[in-house]
Amino acid sequence: MPEIDLTALGEARKMVGFSQKKIELSGHTVAELLRAIGTLDGENLYEKLVCQGKLRGDYAVLVNGLSVKPDQLDMEVKQGDQVVTMAILRHLHGG
Amino acid sequence: MATAVTPSVTRGDGQWLPSTCGMCLHGCGIQVYVEDGVALKIEGDPTNPDNLGKLCPKGNAGLSRLYDPARVLKPLKRTNPVKRAGVDPGWVEIEWDEAMDIVARELGKIRKDDPRKLLVAIGDFQRILFWGWPAVFGSPNFFTSLGNYCGGSYHPVNGSVDGSFAAINDYERCNYWIQIGSGDGFSSHLHVSGSSKRMADARMRGMKLVVLDPRLSTAAAKADEWIPIVPGTDRAFVLGMAHVLVHELDRYDREFLRQRTNAPYLVGEDGFFVRDEKGRVLVWNERENHSGAWDEVPADCVALLGSFEINGKKVRTGFQVWKDILATHTPEAMSQVCTVPAEAIRRIAREFVDAARIGSTIELEGKTYPFRPAALNYYRGSQSHSNGLFDNMTYKLFNMLVGNIDVPGGHLGVPLDTRGFFVSPGESGQLKPEPHQLHPAPPFKYPPDSTHLMEWFPIGFDAGQLNTETILSPERFGLKYQPEAMMLYHSNPIWNMPETDKVEEIMRRMKFVVAIDIHLTESTQWADIFLPDRTYLESTLLNCLEPPVVTGHSVRQPVVEPLGDTRDAYEILTDLAQRMGFLDNWNDLLNIVCGFAFNTRYLLEPSKRYSVEEIYDRFAHSIYGDDKGLEWFKKQGHTYRPRTAKEAFEPYGNLRIPFYFEFIKQTGAELEKQLKAHGVNDWPLENYLPLPFWKPSQVIEDGKKGYDLYAITFKDVIHTFGDTVVMTWLTEVSEKDPIHQGILINSKTAKKLGVETGEKIRLVSPGGRIEGRAQVVEGIHPQVVGISNSITREYVTNDKVNYKGSHFNRLLTGSLRYTDGATGGLESTARVRLEKVSY
Ligand code: SF4
Repeated sequence: MPEIDLTALGEARKMVGFSQKKIELSGHTVAELLRAIGTLDGENLYEKLVCQGKLRGDYAVLVNGLSVKPDQLDMEVKQGDQVVTMAILRHLHGG
Repeated sequence: MATAVTPSVTRGDGQWLPSTCGMCLHGCGIQVYVEDGVALKIEGDPTNPDNLGKLCPKGNAGLSRLYDPARVLKPLKRTNPVKRAGVDPGWVEIEWDEAMDIVARELGKIRKDDPRKLLVAIGDFQRILFWGWPAVFGSPNFFTSLGNYCGGSYHPVNGSVDGSFAAINDYERCNYWIQIGSGDGFSSHLHVSGSSKRMADARMRGMKLVVLDPRLSTAAAKADEWIPIVPGTDRAFVLGMAHVLVHELDRYDREFLRQRTNAPYLVGEDGFFVRDEKGRVLVWNERENHSGAWDEVPADCVALLGSFEINGKKVRTGFQVWKDILATHTPEAMSQVCTVPAEAIRRIAREFVDAARIGSTIELEGKTYPFRPAALNYYRGSQSHSNGLFDNMTYKLFNMLVGNIDVPGGHLGVPLDTRGFFVSPGESGQLKPEPHQLHPAPPFKYPPDSTHLMEWFPIGFDAGQLNTETILSPERFGLKYQPEAMMLYHSNPIWNMPETDKVEEIMRRMKFVVAIDIHLTESTQWADIFLPDRTYLESTLLNCLEPPVVTGHSVRQPVVEPLGDTRDAYEILTDLAQRMGFLDNWNDLLNIVCGFAFNTRYLLEPSKRYSVEEIYDRFAHSIYGDDKGLEWFKKQGHTYRPRTAKEAFEPYGNLRIPFYFEFIKQTGAELEKQLKAHGVNDWPLENYLPLPFWKPSQVIEDGKKGYDLYAITFKDVIHTFGDTVVMTWLTEVSEKDPIHQGILINSKTAKKLGVETGEKIRLVSPGGRIEGRAQVVEGIHPQVVGISNSITREYVTNDKVNYKGSHFNRLLTGSLRYTDGATGGLESTARVRLEKVSY
């Protein structure tokens, strides 16, 4: 079972209630990882971050620093991978 | 490569400390001589690869900012409730706790009610990591009061062409340099202190320099050839040259255009690419005379030019479409617009293409690259206009004609990143366009959230000037709220933005204004609380060394104990975030912008408060590993390595750059649908076009209404954004130069109007009027009057600095009519008529 380093930032952190955790994953994909992470309100991250099988536009998931495209939820995650999930700040514009 | 600083001179028992200049955004390496806790001298750091030991006048004068007796050294509170221009705020000094309590209380109320009601005007380009503070507060309303002047159209086009933020010609290898409306290598833009040496070296080895500028600028004065031109018509000059290359000389880099750009992609009569059932863009196989997917037709069979038929429908290559457009842009026709003789347009075009050596190659680091030692470089003056998108596209396409983009000798992208964020595959073998680089593109929204309507500028760059129009007429744009508070973060919108009266009106309406700055300014006079920041000689950061030559960081460190009772801006913003209960979001934002999210060993904990030193220590370690933290940088100054040829040249490998900007047309079509669905039918969409051409702007139209002259502003190396005009060391110098003495007017025009040097005159534009003294000179186009940004400031706390009138921005109009509808770029030229002022 691969062990994944998960980091949650912003709204995603507030949903899961932690910033960093090692997750033992029984599956091998980003989708399975998101399903394996429970949220404080009893659901899981997949239910929160995924809409009609695609990653929602206002959230980002990065595997080892590379952004997962909305339709790439079947991307493989392996032992030791660093996965970051975060809300994209809608207002991070201006300048 | 890390290098210890070797001071050039040693004096007394003091110490030379390495740091980074903060007098403009470019961050030249400095060394500061400190004795008994007093900074006595600043010199350029000869080991810094950006500035090569040189400093510009502003960098040399940095001590006069640190020790300026007019600096604010303790928080201030306003006691006079009356807010008007010129009214004394009745400042009293207060303690930090009281000041922060007031600010947190007032902004906290806004945040609870509707965080969008906070409007933040932001400056301080070196501390760009902190620009996200308004976003975590919850407001989309932040803008630089400066940026839209310079790069409103420039940055989106650079990002769209090759994922870069800016661009510069290859100083080392370029042999023929056309410079349009830019001070690169002389007086402004990218690391002027170092680039002036690079430019001088290039000229010593024989590089020819041709400068187009309405005024005899420093660059023009040093050039082999100065071509005076009417402001805002540089595009016409370049379109005329493109006509010469494509229609008259038939000389352009066919291989580059065919293989490295999307110029051969087929375009239908609707202006969109023609795609097959799998969505792949088609090209024409000229050997077998049929169309095929871009990746299926052999490279040597792809047609660059031509009109064809597919299923009974006419198609043309993208290159053919521009060739057809250029047919009418003859040198004679363009000469009518820009006033440069047609023969000069032809001659420069010919010299340029000769110097480009199309077909030649160069070997670098074991790889063969195309070698194109001729390039056109440009910046603010040539493209900060209401059709700025077309200006920028024209200059890029002209460079593409000789195949010089991102190749040795040519026109090189200056990226913001080294990690490849902005280089990724797009559709059908093209590089993905990245018009937004400082933040993600905001999705369309109606009613809009932001007062500068960012949701309606999908490829634009934060049109801060629109705030006046939207806030004063919110119903026109569907804005459902009014800003009630303002934060001025090293920003002086009253001085730096167009339509001064309207900016003042906005500030008058604010219930609460807080300013974070070093000095009192025209804008801080409207503040309720003033929070004094530290100067660059008293604060900490890591500064990015500038591409395209190197990659690395230099340190900014306190070289003396901070004066008075000031605080680092980071500490102020962090304290406010904590007091208002969003420290966790602030830390998360820093986790993202500092890259800690991708190197989680350095991740900030959500609820812990970190000092500025801790942030930059983590930042240093996260990039350079265990042995290089902030302390290492404080001793060594900087670390860098030269960019490899592979990083600097064609960094996107085989991906094609856009010649035909179809995505801009697509973006405009999508925006039109969204706006129309909400009943917005009068939004300016006409610039969402895939190719540039000559089209007169509102400024040209204004000329028909009796405003017969063009007014421009210009900068010199001695001052930044008008901000440094308050520094006596600098104004003592600039005041001795006649070009900073008054409104420059050509001698022939002056004679015709009966105006003499020193005479009081008035300039009247459609947007405003200013008065000043005439300064009759030879070195300016006869149809143009010029006003230095170094001439004066209206509100100056240093009584040694004279007020001389002529606040140029009062002549400008910030409305949509004077804004590029696609990029948000601002028109920086005004049409004016000149009146004599009688007493
Ligand atoms: S260009 Fe001048 S002001 Fe800007 S960082 Fe360099 S020395 Fe300082």
